[in-house]
Amino acid sequence: MLLSALLYLAAAVFLIGMGWRVFNWLRTPVPLKIVLTPGPKTSSGVAGRLAGEILVFRSLFKADRSLWVPAWLFHVSLALLFVGHLGGLVIPKFAEATLSMNESQFENLAQNAGSVVGVVAIVAVLWLFIRRLASERPRKISTFSDYFSPVLLLLIIGTGNHMRFLGGLDIVEARQFVWGWLTLSPTAPPANPVFAAHIILVSALLIYIPFSKLVHIGGATLFSPTLNQPNNTRDRRYAGSWSAGPATAKAK
Amino acid sequence: MKAPLLNPNATAGVHAHRAKKELLEPLGLPAELPTNWREMALNKFGELLRQRRSLSLYLDICVRCGACADKCPFFLGTGDPNNMPVARAELLRKVYRRYFTAAGRLADGWAGRLVAAEELNDAVLDQWFTYFYQCSECRRCAVFCPFGVDTAELTMAAREIMASIGVAPKYTSEVIKKVYDVGNNLGIPAAAWTDTCQFLEEELKEQTGKDIKIPVNQEGAEVLLVPPSADAFANTDTMMGYAKFFHAAGVSWTTSTYASEAGNFGLFFNYDQLQKVNRRIVDAARQLKVKRLVMGECGHAWRAAQAFMDTMNGPLDFLEKPCPEHILEFVVRFLRAGKLKLNKAANDGITVTYHDPCNLARAGGLMEEPREVLRAVVNDFREMPADTIREKTFCCGAGGGLLTEELMTTRMAGAKPRIEAFRTTGATHLATACAICKAQFPVAFQHHKVNAQVVGIMDLLGKALVI
Repeated sequence: MLLSALLYLAAAVFLIGMGWRVFNWLRTPVPLKIVLTPGPKTSSGVAGRLAGEILVFRSLFKADRSLWVPAWLFHVSLALLFVGHLGGLVIPKFAEATLSMNESQFENLAQNAGSVVGVVAIVAVLWLFIRRLASERPRKISTFSDYFSPVLLLLIIGTGNHMRFLGGLDIVEARQFVWGWLTLSPTAPPANPVFAAHIILVSALLIYIPFSKLVHIGGATLFSPTLNQPNNTRDRRYAGSWSAGPATAKAK
Repeated sequence: MKAPLLNPNATAGVHAHRAKKELLEPLGLPAELPTNWREMALNKFGELLRQRRSLSLYLDICVRCGACADKCPFFLGTGDPNNMPVARAELLRKVYRRYFTAAGRLADGWAGRLVAAEELNDAVLDQWFTYFYQCSECRRCAVFCPFGVDTAELTMAAREIMASIGVAPKYTSEVIKKVYDVGNNLGIPAAAWTDTCQFLEEELKEQTGKDIKIPVNQEGAEVLLVPPSADAFANTDTMMGYAKFFHAAGVSWTTSTYASEAGNFGLFFNYDQLQKVNRRIVDAARQLKVKRLVMGECGHAWRAAQAFMDTMNGPLDFLEKPCPEHILEFVVRFLRAGKLKLNKAANDGITVTYHDPCNLARAGGLMEEPREVLRAVVNDFREMPADTIREKTFCCGAGGGLLTEELMTTRMAGAKPRIEAFRTTGATHLATACAICKAQFPVAFQHHKVNAQVVGIMDLLGKALVI
């Protein structure tokens, strides 16, 4: 019960916190067009630019390939782990039907794919963590948060991998727990200390995200005015928020 | 250029001179540091956070991946860790955390260090005044940032906060005041402007034997050309290049003594001055009843005009073409129509490469036009390495209000990456389209022992034009 309660608290902090942060970004005006050029002139072009940044980290690729590799692998494996948890724990029947697999085929896939992605994820986090510690410039700019986040993720992925590779988790019980939690009728968690640790760490992460640099998962690139504006000031007047004006605002 | 090893505090002692009462007061700023300066600065900070998403978002989302760290010419040149864009941003971010985030407000002492929050005090203010004037707002870091975090936005905000408590550089304040007093950055009065234009007309007569005009305040001309004022004094070949081009193209044009300056140092100061300086150009165009507004060879002027003018002081619907145009766009149109007779051989014997001014490339999208003109007027044109041109161009080292004597150490260091790229070409001439670059490079060439000349694109066009 305590685990469920903690997870409810974490989810609430996460949703309200992120909602507040995103709301704040969106309500803050963009007085001038500051798009980086050459930039796309049309909104479909802008969509392409943003997709390139979000899906393949285009700018980071230009900046530093040796950073791009672990960074991209890390984010992709986290996304896959999220999808995997959703498919395996929340909607296994639906996932089986969608993939036209029977139960054992699906279990098989989940085992194998989960194992590969779990390993890639932990290697990528370690890689990023070591890079931060080992090279002069990243070490110089790092704050406590820059070490805390990867350590937390290492522990979360580590406990996950522990359950996958060393067994001990009853998947049916885990599904029951997740469903009970989601439908607001919480049941007892599987009697497995690693599972409990996993849930506690995930709760910590959820609570941490809105108050740290991890807030970037809320759509940082999407709202970034150097990237999300079309380069068309001379085709169409950009009124921005200028009519309300910094000059006017200053007077108050 | 290979990234240097970290050299802590390498340029901690390089400061801009502070503006005093006689400059601050006319700009509506406190004449000296108010006793409640911290409260005032934080109020201003809060106000800007509510007004500019670029500020609040970019302070929130940086993950300190360090992709930007070795992209800044000032870091590459100095090795000072605070010149890594991410570290420069942290100077502002640590104060932001302390006063504007939940974690920072709650945390004090050791807990504050844990969330990297820091109080705004004399030492931090000193750091701000030092390092936000070692950034030229060139935006190269933003090109490589996975979130597009633009340090120029943070630098502009930090400078605006400092200005609000009377902490501003003498150089930029002086330049802005001159614009209000006489109409341009160099402080050339109207009569002297007219004299210079007449003198250059005589010079043109000697060169070509033709009566080529440099009109002043001519109402009803088709084009108002707004050059950087340096073109009339230091870069006179550029000025004569405009005149030869308009003569050859058969377009009536004029300069204005009210807006005899394309540059806008408000961009390096605060939004208020940015808008006011910009307004003069719009007013001049309206008064002279011109059909088109054309900007001369100046980098940040092009940003202030093409990206901001219509928003800040528009709509510009009194113009036939309701937006600013760039002289090189204008030239390219006539070039493509085959209306210019050129003799490329006039520029033989020199090897030319092109330096993209940061604001033309990254904030104005003007990268093809200069090259198209250069290829049409020069036989031996070469590019610098691909990761140092176009949107990846290096700053000359003096943009963003840094073109002043006391910042010479950082200016010369900031020029280093560009100079190294230039060396690889074996060029004898560095062509560029920005008055700040043109003022910086001769000094930087001498400092870095390069034997080469700086030249405007209009200079080379002027030479090749058959009139």
